[in-house]
Amino acid sequence: MLCRFTENTKKAKNKLMWQRPPLKGSYDAVIIGGGLHGLATAYFLARNQGMNHVAVIEKRYIGFGGSGRNTAIVRANQRTKENLPLYAEGLELWPKLTDELDFNLMFFNCGNLNLAHSEAALGSMRLLVASAQFHGIKSELVDAKQCKEIVPILDISDLPTYPIMGGMYHPPGGTVRHDAVVWGLARGAARLGVHIHQGTEVTGINVQNGKVTSVETDKGKIHTPRVLNAAGGYSTLVSAMIGIRLPVHVLTIQAMVTEPLKPILHHVVSSGAYHCYANQTLKGEIATGAHMDPWPNYTTQVSARYIKHQAEALTDLMPCLKGVKFMRSWAGLADMTPDMAPIIDGNNPIQGYFMDCGWGYFGFKSGAVTGKYLAEFMASDQCPDILAPFTLRRYENHKLMGEIANPVNYGPWN
Amino acid sequence: MSLTISCPICGKRDGYEFRFGGEERGPRPDEEGLTHEQWCSYVHMRINKAGIQREWWYHQEGCGSWFTIERDTLTNLEVEGREET
Repeated sequence: MLCRFTENTKKAKNKLMWQRPPLKGSYDAVIIGGGLHGLATAYFLARNQGMNHVAVIEKRYIGFGGSGRNTAIVRANQRTKENLPLYAEGLELWPKLTDELDFNLMFFNCGNLNLAHSEAALGSMRLLVASAQFHGIKSELVDAKQCKEIVPILDISDLPTYPIMGGMYHPPGGTVRHDAVVWGLARGAARLGVHIHQGTEVTGINVQNGKVTSVETDKGKIHTPRVLNAAGGYSTLVSAMIGIRLPVHVLTIQAMVTEPLKPILHHVVSSGAYHCYANQTLKGEIATGAHMDPWPNYTTQVSARYIKHQAEALTDLMPCLKGVKFMRSWAGLADMTPDMAPIIDGNNPIQGYFMDCGWGYFGFKSGAVTGKYLAEFMASDQCPDILAPFTLRRYENHKLMGEIANPVNYGPWN
Repeated sequence: MSLTISCPICGKRDGYEFRFGGEERGPRPDEEGLTHEQWCSYVHMRINKAGIQREWWYHQEGCGSWFTIERDTLTNLEVEGREET
């Protein structure tokens, strides 16, 4: 009796936030990839477009990829006029989603401070700040002394390898708990009837007369007129199934956290020259991101070289962190495009095939808002104006976006 | 596991001495009658294979040679002992 009692209470405590329905033979839309982008699109398809008969197919578990591996930083200080409005709306969406999903996404708009270590970087930041302000996004240039006022633990002397010359301060940015976003969207979508199939692998996409007809999975065939490739780091593999090549190569971006410390860092600090960004989590750890191994690979391994580099960069910028230990490290896959902007397209060249990939290491910041517009695109077959510039065709039209010329590529060496 | 690359001149060296030169994608297309689509395909499009691929490397901090090797992108290890194809 006692045994049965504990079993029942255990069941009640572990109530599933989303159910595990059987895989049906047909859906109105199949979304490949149970990450932030896929789940957000599924959620908004059901919520805003009235399309509830949707399946999210995830090979491993939801949030396994980039959605659960990023350093949870959000901001809206991109460079070009095409990207800025999308990122700005994305940033405003977090508090609204928190309410809507009734799930604490732990949005903390602590502000981002991006450091400049050269005249070239400051020049690049002037352009970024002007562009952001033109689009109504709060962003300002600060000098080294102001950097120190914002983040007192910075070393603004000439001791660091690359001394701090100034920076770009973006007050509305900050961090969002990435797992919460994945779980909140999954629960929200499932409540609206979306089926989430974890541990299910897509093995093929069938096309007839230029139209998507069905998706093959290891659990059976699904008839559907609409498929979305939201596979993040694995998007070229899904794309290959349908014979579309992408201008994407996948790099591993590395990240690590230190042991927990008392509150000392109240903003997101980043530096392009050091290729280092850091924030202190609510648990007290310094979560920090690092370089990418510059050759494509799917390993998600961390390399000793960059753990060492990260320790040097952090202690150069914030000497008080000397002696603090790294506790964990991991890596995620970044699907890099030549112009550092995503590829969002649909019905071209195959009717019913949509793609949302090539986000590189920016996929977290605007995932939710992209899902909202992509849902509109998939339901109406009309590409919303805000997504139109991200077409795959821009590469053959030689209209690459200018995001590549951002401060991260400017240092004392140029 | 750290990456090592076999340079045809210097032998097996630390991967960080080299610069990745992209996956092997055939000869540069003829400029005669070249369409935007073909050029884009050559310049930008990638297979981005998950598995063994032939790829270019440049021994930047060494002898300066350009050469191809085969590497498994799932393990990040060079695949040795394969015939040049």
